[in-house]
Amino acid sequence: MVNLTIDDKQVTAPKTATIYEAAKLNGIAIPILCHDKKLKPFGACRMCLVEVEQMKGRQIPACTTPVTEGMIIRTSTPDIVKARKMVLELLLLNHPIDCPVCDKAGDCDLQNLTYEYKVDANRFTDEKFHHEIDYNNPLIERDMNRCVLCGKCARICDEIVSFGALTFISRGIETKIGCEFDEALNCEFCGSCVSVCPVGSLLARPFKFKARFWSLTKNKSVCGYCGTGCNLTLGVKDNKVLTTLYDENQGFHNGQLCVRGRFGYQFINSDKRLTKPLVRKNGKLEEAGWDEALELVAARLKDAGASTAALATARLTNEELVVFKQLLQTAGCGNYDHSAGYAHAALTEGFAGSFGASASPSTILDIQKSDLLLVIKTDAYETHPVVGFEINMAVKNKGTLLKILTDKSGKLSKLPDARTLVHTPGSEIAIINSLAKVILDNKLVDASAAALPGYAALEKELAAFTPEAVSAQCGLTAVEIKLLASAYATAEKALILFPVGQAYPGHTAALANAVANLALLAGKLGKEGGGVLCLSEKNNSQGAVDMGFQAGIGAGRIIDGCADGSITTLFLAGENPLVSYPDHARVQAALDKVEFLVVSEMFLTETAAMADVVLPVCSFAEKEGTFTATDRRVQHIKPAIRKVGQSRSDFEIFGALIAKLGGVAPGTPASVFAEISATVPGYTGMSYASLGVEGQFAPVELKPAFVMPNAPAVTVEPGKLALVTGSALYHNGTLSQYGEGPMHVCPEGYVEISRADAAASRFAENDLLTVSSAGGSMKLKAHISARMPQGVVFAPYHFGANPVNQVWSGAPVTWITLAK
Amino acid sequence: MSEAVAQKAAEQEPEIDLSLANKIIDKYIDMPGNLMPVLQGAQDEYGYIPRVVADLIAERLNVYPSQIYGVLTFYAQFHLKPRGRFIIRVCVGTACHVQGAPRIVETFFDKLHIGHAETTEDLRYTFEQVACLGACGMAPLAMVNDATYGAMTVQKVDEIIKDYNQRPMK
Repeated sequence: MVNLTIDDKQVTAPKTATIYEAAKLNGIAIPILCHDKKLKPFGACRMCLVEVEQMKGRQIPACTTPVTEGMIIRTSTPDIVKARKMVLELLLLNHPIDCPVCDKAGDCDLQNLTYEYKVDANRFTDEKFHHEIDYNNPLIERDMNRCVLCGKCARICDEIVSFGALTFISRGIETKIGCEFDEALNCEFCGSCVSVCPVGSLLARPFKFKARFWSLTKNKSVCGYCGTGCNLTLGVKDNKVLTTLYDENQGFHNGQLCVRGRFGYQFINSDKRLTKPLVRKNGKLEEAGWDEALELVAARLKDAGASTAALATARLTNEELVVFKQLLQTAGCGNYDHSAGYAHAALTEGFAGSFGASASPSTILDIQKSDLLLVIKTDAYETHPVVGFEINMAVKNKGTLLKILTDKSGKLSKLPDARTLVHTPGSEIAIINSLAKVILDNKLVDASAAALPGYAALEKELAAFTPEAVSAQCGLTAVEIKLLASAYATAEKALILFPVGQAYPGHTAALANAVANLALLAGKLGKEGGGVLCLSEKNNSQGAVDMGFQAGIGAGRIIDGCADGSITTLFLAGENPLVSYPDHARVQAALDKVEFLVVSEMFLTETAAMADVVLPVCSFAEKEGTFTATDRRVQHIKPAIRKVGQSRSDFEIFGALIAKLGGVAPGTPASVFAEISATVPGYTGMSYASLGVEGQFAPVELKPAFVMPNAPAVTVEPGKLALVTGSALYHNGTLSQYGEGPMHVCPEGYVEISRADAAASRFAENDLLTVSSAGGSMKLKAHISARMPQGVVFAPYHFGANPVNQVWSGAPVTWITLAK
Repeated sequence: MSEAVAQKAAEQEPEIDLSLANKIIDKYIDMPGNLMPVLQGAQDEYGYIPRVVADLIAERLNVYPSQIYGVLTFYAQFHLKPRGRFIIRVCVGTACHVQGAPRIVETFFDKLHIGHAETTEDLRYTFEQVACLGACGMAPLAMVNDATYGAMTVQKVDEIIKDYNQRPMK
């Protein structure tokens, strides 16, 4: 700490602080335009000029000058105020005064500072800029006429997002922010640039002319898409969520969001939302009253009893899942599962075996504290973009080593000094076993490992996984495997990250076991910045696991049971298996066959359209409860708007059904959460108050053991291409189809092929290709990219209009052929 | 070289041989801070930086394409359009100005049918007026590539153009 004087006040500040930070820390505001706490100091705007006595009273920028012992600083002398006024005058010289039609008005740093410094006239005159406004994409408007060249957009795109879409182009008076060759913006559309723009140069187009900033109610919430659990501020007016607002102090991510979080909110107030219950009459779904619909469902549940099964989406709150479980138990139904149940076997079965707990031992906060990150599949960026930002920042700012084990390269591969090892699809488990084998052979085993149960057996079982033997089938060399193993083992703190989800069937319990063995052997667990983090797909996947919403035969066999008649009634809460489960034909046949299908949904999805009763439910923005993020961060959500139409929360629906079946309906989400905090391990002692706005981590108690992964060998079909499925950056599950933002950027499925395969078959970009597998065939547009290795193709799974499960069998690798 | 880049090159600018750019990139690939020498080398080869070359450099050096464009537009030494075989520069600095440089400039404009910083369609000439060439004693001064022509007159403009019209393009 250093002692200094700011505006005659004795203060202390950390040695590394700048004058701006020291002042802020001590409650003294210095105006800024180009500074952002997340970005490196830049010193472009000169608004933060202060006087430092030791510097002979010269005016120096507070945002770039570090504090020193005994510094005497004055932040608002008459000279300083005069200088700041002139800075504003000069900025306003070119900046158009079009505040009445500018969406930024009210939230504009330039406008606020002009007001604060009473700049009511300008001593200078000059022409305004005449740049063409970029309206070429549906999400971000770029009006460079309003730009003050603070460079925040270009810097955030580089420093945090690592996309680098924007940069300073030209020089001197002609300088402006633009893209390569001054083209239209074409990027990830995360909107980070929009969030930090201090003026109206970068605006969210979906929000254009929707409401004035000051008329919005700002409601805190938690994003309803992936398992990262980002905090959101929803801008609400007239019971509509009109935008997401940036709050740099919100959450571990400091308000950073991805395209889904920032631009995917439209599903909340979508016209397509179901507002009334639907009941099938004479083969057609017709609107009905709640009483009628619930009566019908209750009667059916009573009749069907044990032949009922249920599947829930992991987007329900913890409380809803608990009540759903209670409903099913009341109805005598013993078979229920959630998407995260069958797709997150790594978490449930894998971690339970290896760690004695179905949760990741590490948190997202460990990423920036780690020395080495081992990422399995570059898709970690696509599935969890904000976690990707954390990885970017760790690598770029902290010098964290990044090793990637993947079947295709990706954006993470482009980070400085990232080492990407591209292996043949489906061979990751063998490679990780081989890494463990190298650690054993090279005596890099941590002292703690030998005492763990299963060590001797593991040592024996791993004998077959010499790097030489594994390299023969995985596409990597033995040397690459050995180097990676020693880098991992010798890093002080090393963290393994891997995504799981419905589109990642290869990321099984065996992968989790293999990864856990590796971490345990090298002694990486239990250290800050080290361990294993499994990135779960849905916003409450971890919660669904924690609530134990899984009993009986499991999702796959529930579908089979529907087909063979052993299950007569199926209750789907928010699940859309027709799109998201493997093998479309099989799911279709099962849903056709099942006698009675109840779907509680926000939208008339492909699956809901087949139902006998559809119950309209509300979105996360309309309900109360808790979500548990992938790193077991439990977060509380409150309604941001009133429920749309006649929709009800799943909580209310399940409660009403319990009452109709003669059970005792639960009270409120709060009372159910109290029950959860009393019974669920790790949640002990939690309350809404203790969760606060940013949530609370449920601790994970580990009982580590070595479990030999039971990995089935991947068969190779010569002459065919290996199809790997996954998530597209812009989507998450099938919900994002109802977000206009994601659908604007990525409206349909595609098949991504390597340049070499495309050239060999003479496929061009956007060619409509027939994709055929043993399971069926479908047409998808070709997308040629540099990241795919030869012989491997990728397809995202989110799209109901033409779901990839028509060809995807659910195996880690589906062998396909492509034809024009 | 990746095939799609090559394919794109072939479609857009058929005459661009990316192997030249690849050779330059190969030379500097392991050098820290290699962007400037690579861009300078590419410009020496092609006379300007074609789009496909910029894209190739971005991909192989792992630099954002936008950043490359930022560098290209920051420095006056880089050109984004094809340049003439012969670069005619006429000084319009103070000494040349009082010695009648504006008339020399006008004459070049008239004879070549191009303006400042423009290139003739046949890619033979690029004309630029510059602030000072550092030889005020020879005012008014013109340069064609590396050759200097002092005490310029309107008649000498004709002679220069006649001379260079006959020189080979390669």
